[in-house]
Amino acid sequence: MEFASFIVFFVIACTLGGVLLGISSLLGQKRKIVRKNDVYESGVNAVGSATRQYDVKFYLTAILFLLFDVEIVFLLPWAMTFNQASNQAFLLKGFIFFMVILLVGYIFVINSKALKWDE
Amino acid sequence: MLESAIEILLKTIVILALPLGALPLIIHVERRGAAFMQKRLGPNRVGPFGLLQPLADVAKFMFKEEVHPTHVKPFFYVAAPLVALVVAILPLACIPIAAPFELFGRTIFPEVFRTDMGIFYAFAVSALGSYGILLAGWASNNKYSMLGALRACAQMVSYELSLSTSVVAMIFLYGTNDIHQMIGAQTGYWFGFLPKWGVFIQPVAAMLFLVGIFAESNRLPFDLAEGESEIVAGYHLEYSSMKFALFFMAEYIHMIALSALFIILFFGGYALLPGMSFLAEKSPILLVALQALSLITKIALMIWFFVWVRWTLPRFRYDQLMTLGWERLLPLGIANLIITVLFVYYRN
Repeated sequence: MEFASFIVFFVIACTLGGVLLGISSLLGQKRKIVRKNDVYESGVNAVGSATRQYDVKFYLTAILFLLFDVEIVFLLPWAMTFNQASNQAFLLKGFIFFMVILLVGYIFVINSKALKWDE
Repeated sequence: MLESAIEILLKTIVILALPLGALPLIIHVERRGAAFMQKRLGPNRVGPFGLLQPLADVAKFMFKEEVHPTHVKPFFYVAAPLVALVVAILPLACIPIAAPFELFGRTIFPEVFRTDMGIFYAFAVSALGSYGILLAGWASNNKYSMLGALRACAQMVSYELSLSTSVVAMIFLYGTNDIHQMIGAQTGYWFGFLPKWGVFIQPVAAMLFLVGIFAESNRLPFDLAEGESEIVAGYHLEYSSMKFALFFMAEYIHMIALSALFIILFFGGYALLPGMSFLAEKSPILLVALQALSLITKIALMIWFFVWVRWTLPRFRYDQLMTLGWERLLPLGIANLIITVLFVYYRN
């Protein structure tokens, strides 16, 4: 039942976006000029394709984000159950162990200058 | 069955109409606020105090020509604004505008998607926000767009880490994921005058979250994604007319949704503002109205804060942005989490 309400909300949101998208292609004026459809390049002709090589730092950031985000996602259920749990000492030890591993990884990442952008 | 269907539809319409109806007002406040801070007048011609200017802009967007550049990837080019808007709207589904109340013998939960994993859901869908941007930048097939999208995504994922650590700390303190229980824990006063808001228990987490929502919604000082002086307009460079307007709307709705989450975690959500409680005792319906009013007031103040910061702080350089995210805020967030955990453990 709850999920049905989510689906209704999702469908209505999509319809709203679709209608807004359709409106301007319906109402907007249409003047076909070939040059208008060129790549935007501050008034000159574009050189080369946009799908070229970009800085590898973007890729590294994404990979490191995955690693750290997974660790934080693991912490969420832990954080929810801690207050009701009976074996809090054990949970705390697990948390400290986890955090030490995270810290070692973090220091390695910082030392390897993976996140150091050119200055 | 029919009653439930009507209830769902009504709630959906209200939850969608509130932020969409507030959008023109927010845009107006932003422009007039900018004018006010720069000692000029701002839009004041269309309607009283220029209030109808945003509506005139919408009409203008509708009648503008749709340029479909030939070099784009057509399907994703059209889909990207839609994805951006829908993803920005989705987190609103779990935000309650008042406490559950009785009406016509039914208990009504005033949020569309009633779930006990409220905060999980909200962050899961709001993290999808980077897809709309990445899709737009890649499908536009333009170097400026691509660079803007890559920058925006790297920035959003970097600041999501420190934001998530502060959320973990708050979930740990409240011991629940349910939004109503979180707000319940924040109702009432310490010493009779200080509201029990999360911000007074966890100021560091609140600060991290605040910086995080600025970075997530790509607002100044974190609007590297559209740094005009470097990459013209970033990911929405090749978009025109209503397609551009959808990105614009998505940004503002994302701001509203993230502000609402910030207020739920740190400022008591729909918990009554100080001084309102004597009014609320008069009737249950008045209580609901006052709760909704409290939430809307808090969100409005938050939006004003966004505008204020925008015209106060200059933009970061990209390496400063990444250093701040990874080498300052992330360690701060983790240290805050560890200290919170140790404090709670030794207090018990």
